[in-house]
Amino acid sequence: MISTLAGIGRYGLWLRDLGRALLVHGMPKGQMMAEAFKIGIKSLPILLIIAAFVGTNLALQGYNAFKPLGGQRLVGMFVALAGVRELAPIIAAAMIAAKAGTEMASQIGVMKIREQVDALEVMAVNPLAYLVAPRMIGILLMLPALTVIAIFVMLSAAYAVCIYQLGMNGHEFIQFAQESIEPIDFFYGAVKAMFFGAIICTISCYFGFNCGKGPEGVGQATNRAVVTSSVICIVINYFVSELLYGGAF
Amino acid sequence: MIELRNVTKSFGPNTILRNISLKIPPGETTAIVGPSGTGKSVTLKHIVGLLRPDEGQVLCFGTDMATAPESELFKVRRRFGMLFQDGALFDSMSVGANISFPLVHHAQHMSEDERRARVEEKLALVGLPGIYERPTSSLSGGQRKRVGLARAIVMEPEVVLFDEPNSGLDPITSDAIDALIQEMKEALGITFIIISHDIVGTVNVADHIAMLYGGDLIAFEPTKKFVRLKHPVVRKFLQRNLILPEGPDDVARLPGLE
Amino acid sequence: MLNAITALGRFGRFSAGIAARMVRRPFFYAEIMSQVWTTTTRCLLPVTAVTFPFGMVMALQGLEIFRLFGAERMLASLISIATLREISPVLASVLVAAQGGSSCAAALGAMRIKEEIDATEVMAVDALKFHAVPRVIALTIACPLLNIAGSVAGVAGGYVTAVFLKGEPGGIFLAELWSFMGPTDLYGGIVKTTVFGLVIGLISCYHGYRASGGAAGVGKAVNDTVVHSVVAFITLNYFLTSALFGAAGQ
Repeated sequence: MISTLAGIGRYGLWLRDLGRALLVHGMPKGQMMAEAFKIGIKSLPILLIIAAFVGTNLALQGYNAFKPLGGQRLVGMFVALAGVRELAPIIAAAMIAAKAGTEMASQIGVMKIREQVDALEVMAVNPLAYLVAPRMIGILLMLPALTVIAIFVMLSAAYAVCIYQLGMNGHEFIQFAQESIEPIDFFYGAVKAMFFGAIICTISCYFGFNCGKGPEGVGQATNRAVVTSSVICIVINYFVSELLYGGAF
Repeated sequence: MIELRNVTKSFGPNTILRNISLKIPPGETTAIVGPSGTGKSVTLKHIVGLLRPDEGQVLCFGTDMATAPESELFKVRRRFGMLFQDGALFDSMSVGANISFPLVHHAQHMSEDERRARVEEKLALVGLPGIYERPTSSLSGGQRKRVGLARAIVMEPEVVLFDEPNSGLDPITSDAIDALIQEMKEALGITFIIISHDIVGTVNVADHIAMLYGGDLIAFEPTKKFVRLKHPVVRKFLQRNLILPEGPDDVARLPGLE
Repeated sequence: MLNAITALGRFGRFSAGIAARMVRRPFFYAEIMSQVWTTTTRCLLPVTAVTFPFGMVMALQGLEIFRLFGAERMLASLISIATLREISPVLASVLVAAQGGSSCAAALGAMRIKEEIDATEVMAVDALKFHAVPRVIALTIACPLLNIAGSVAGVAGGYVTAVFLKGEPGGIFLAELWSFMGPTDLYGGIVKTTVFGLVIGLISCYHGYRASGGAAGVGKAVNDTVVHSVVAFITLNYFLTSALFGAAGQ
């Protein structure tokens, strides 16, 4: 417990150093776009698969739960609301944590144990600005886009299941789904995604920079990065949802 | 211009450096030796400001690295070059990109062609001409050290630091690196600070030797005097090797790629 | 594409090897028990730390909607069956992959890189049997256990939000939890997470055992483990859900 608090303190200090570094040094140009694309393109196939199968289950379970109660109308509504408001941002975030987050933690961790981070410092280049900033920009640019893609894939998969497996009426499903979502929901989804992205990036890089020695150190750093960022994202999700949706529907 | 004054540093209960005072003679080669774990690397890291002492001052060109803010540290570091133990090269870049890295960040006034010419010049100096485009991951241990050295000197610094340049090398490559350092010393004539546990190479190349033992600086003399010291620990350390050399060996031409 | 098929084949052979070793003596009981304990305790906090807030969010969003129809009573049953059937199995498995799968891949990967696995084999001990099998078994057992904990935490989160934060009557909430629950709800999640746990175990041991390329290889093994495990069980989840809960409704 004490070590957790100490860890949070250290993370806070690191964030402060990061903020300072970004303000003073800005970021290396040209690398930004490359980083953003790398993160986006590599994550896309996985995102598509996961979003699709979450959509299918959303439809299956929604059907099971609501068909007896209120017929098709509720199913469409449930799928759209739950999917767009909560599941899509979380899926996108979880997948970025799993793919990009672990990569960041392990890449930076390996650099740390092979003294490359020290080398940067000795060559008078701030490692935080050089290593973290491009990744951060990449994630912040990509995550909202990935969230929107997740929404569409998820809803399409749910639609497919509803029509072909469950035998529902396609037009009605779309109509009820559309009724329940507003454009602002997409915006909120993007906002959530950016929060999650910032959390994942900073936490993963933090663990990379504080990597212990040897291969075990890298393994541990990667491990901690993905678990910590996932948990924090889901906890924050509640508060953000409360802020965006609570009582102001 | 580089001086440690009363530097003390502990890690937890272990005091690694105890009240160390050391003035590095400019323009000459100083070796810091001692058994493993006596704080040689720690001393080096203090000089570049990667570590800060618990007590004392670390003066480089008038700036106290122990208390200076980042901007000051960076100014001083631009006058240093450092060769890390494994080279600390960036695997995602080619050899040429690695070596030109400091130029890209600190010599923006240079054109792309000028930078390339400088890098090629340094690569030739370290005995590896023509490998600008090679991926870093394909280099052998000895080659990594040479490339690391090229990167360390590309900004034409006033001081070059070597962290255990012979570590992890087989005897033949180790000799080649010693020869390279000797060549660099003669070619550049700048201050070298070498951390080493390899006594033969050190005696050949260093003008001054400082020995750390048990957290204290037990000796700091010009090489000729160092090898004749009566201090029991120094004697024991020197005798780990078979013969005390009479003088610098012949410097063979660099053997090229291993 | 071809690479993927070759890799799947290799993985299949690997899994078959593990399966074969699981049923042959000697059985390293102590190692297995210790792994089960370690995995479960290490994953407990992450799993509950995720299902609890998600239960809270479900209650939050659910109430927003149900209050429009005056159907607040239905919130409890929605939360309980959603948690048991989908949310808890999936979230718990994601965190088991992230924590348990990660550390398994990291441990085996580090062993591989530091040649400890080679050393074990030279001493004529079957490395897979000693190092990998206990971990696979541990993950297969721990995952459903953690799912149970996760389900409880999820419902608890829903309760806290609904009753303490949004003022729903607590007694009704607790009573309504059981309204629509059937036996499948109770064992469905267990079945799912047992399968998922097995998948995570096999994938993490596979990547860890085959790690190469120094410390970066360990990082890559962890990365691949988490990504492949999640993709695998999310896909399986669809088929299992169809099978368990069918398309015909309760």
